[in-house]
Amino acid sequence: MVTGAVQGWIRRDGWLSTAAVLAAIGTWELLSSFRFVPPDLLPGPGAVLRAFVYMLHNGYRETTLWGNILATLYRCGAGFFLACVTGIPLGLAMGYNAKIGAAFDYMVQFMRPLPPLSYLILLILWFGTGDKSKIALLYLTAFPIVTSSAMAGVRSVRTQKVQAAQSLGAGGWQTFCYVIFPSALPLIFTGARIALAVAFSTVVAAELMAATNGLGWMVFSASHFLRNDIIILGIIVLGILGILLNRLILMLDGAIVHWRGVE
Amino acid sequence: MLAGLPGDRWVTLGTLGVIVLSWTAVTSLGLVSDLFLPGPELLWSGFLDLVQNGYRSRTLWAHAALSLERVLGGFVTGAIIGTLLGLGMGYNRKVEAFFSPFIEFLRPLPQLAYLVLLIVWLGIGETSQIVLLFLTALPVSAVAAMDGVKGTSVLRIQAAQSLGASEWQIFRWVVLPSALHEIFTGARLAIGVVYATLIAAEIIAGSTGLGWMILDAGRFLRSDYVFVGILIIGLMGLGLDRTLLTIERRVVHWAGKA
Repeated sequence: MVTGAVQGWIRRDGWLSTAAVLAAIGTWELLSSFRFVPPDLLPGPGAVLRAFVYMLHNGYRETTLWGNILATLYRCGAGFFLACVTGIPLGLAMGYNAKIGAAFDYMVQFMRPLPPLSYLILLILWFGTGDKSKIALLYLTAFPIVTSSAMAGVRSVRTQKVQAAQSLGAGGWQTFCYVIFPSALPLIFTGARIALAVAFSTVVAAELMAATNGLGWMVFSASHFLRNDIIILGIIVLGILGILLNRLILMLDGAIVHWRGVE
Repeated sequence: MLAGLPGDRWVTLGTLGVIVLSWTAVTSLGLVSDLFLPGPELLWSGFLDLVQNGYRSRTLWAHAALSLERVLGGFVTGAIIGTLLGLGMGYNRKVEAFFSPFIEFLRPLPQLAYLVLLIVWLGIGETSQIVLLFLTALPVSAVAAMDGVKGTSVLRIQAAQSLGASEWQIFRWVVLPSALHEIFTGARLAIGVVYATLIAAEIIAGSTGLGWMILDAGRFLRSDYVFVGILIIGLMGLGLDRTLLTIERRVVHWAGKA
């Protein structure tokens, strides 16, 4: 019984998951169609679906649903991409060279636990309310996570492996390219996955605060007009996007780091 | 060749010195307006001012205490219920199959998105913020506890069974202790996310607390208050994490010795 439960991940009871989701949607429908809750506060699934169809055709306040999705993804992606391009090399260098590590480590460690929204206000003062301040925010959000995971990746490389390569005559560059970097890659991907998830949460928060498009803005703007159907639609779209972004990195991880866990 | 830390302390101090010096130089020479980057002395006077006079009819400590209360309120309830749920999910796969769609949906969902809905339902106030933080902590703790239970080595469970342990005994003395390390890791992750979410929530829909304080100060271009606020928020976050780490070391003293 206990061992069965512990090994339960091997076979998941899919039908029960489906039943649970259906039950939740059923309860939601009952709550709204029998008016246990005022439909203004909790529109039923039908109303949300209608809002979805309406948005596909007419958009929301001069923006289309796709336009808002793209705006959110663009900000998130741009900040995340810049963070990876700069953070991964820096982290690799910090792990490889103790001096570089010592020079930058405390900065990264100070930034990591800092709530991103706290410095958004400064960024808005510096860059204005446009896309620039948001991309800078997401960059600063993802950067410390990506950097410290790359550093940890390099530091986790077993010394024997490096020594083995060296004793076979590998130079510094060869050791780095063929031994250190591949061993660091699994941790780099883990860091990238966390960073993208945090950046995605943060972009929505930033759009609530100061934006004229994007899914966060759409949800926030809908709340001013008590359009709860649009809010719920926005939440569902955001949830699906969050799952997809996570899957995307997992897929890349699986395709590139095929040696993960094989040591 | 691979980096080892000691002996490089002077590099750390050196770069820190360079940063502080250039900060002082840039601000005191007037290259950057005080509005954008207040100098060290301005920051210090802003800090003293906040400590002595508080901000908008509340002391600095009152704002910090309000933020802390919300974090703890949401975190404690979310972590306890999430952990119980996660233990159940790890232990029984029917329970897991039932709850996992919701947890998997809630986990990557930007927290601030449902804050809007909570505000419409519960109004702007403590309730909506604490429910928000509860929902933030819940999936993180649940997943950690579930992974912890699943990570229990089957050999140990079989050993306990063959010695005649009952199901409850196995849970209490084998599964729970080996899951506890993971549960604490989850709790530290959760409190970090909860804290970041709270600051965001206070900025977007608050009228008290540290997050609101820096937003309000930013509106009046008091960037000295904003900087002091960010530093205090950072230090408080660090303090929360360290507190949990200390508790973890006390409670899970067997971690890493398996």
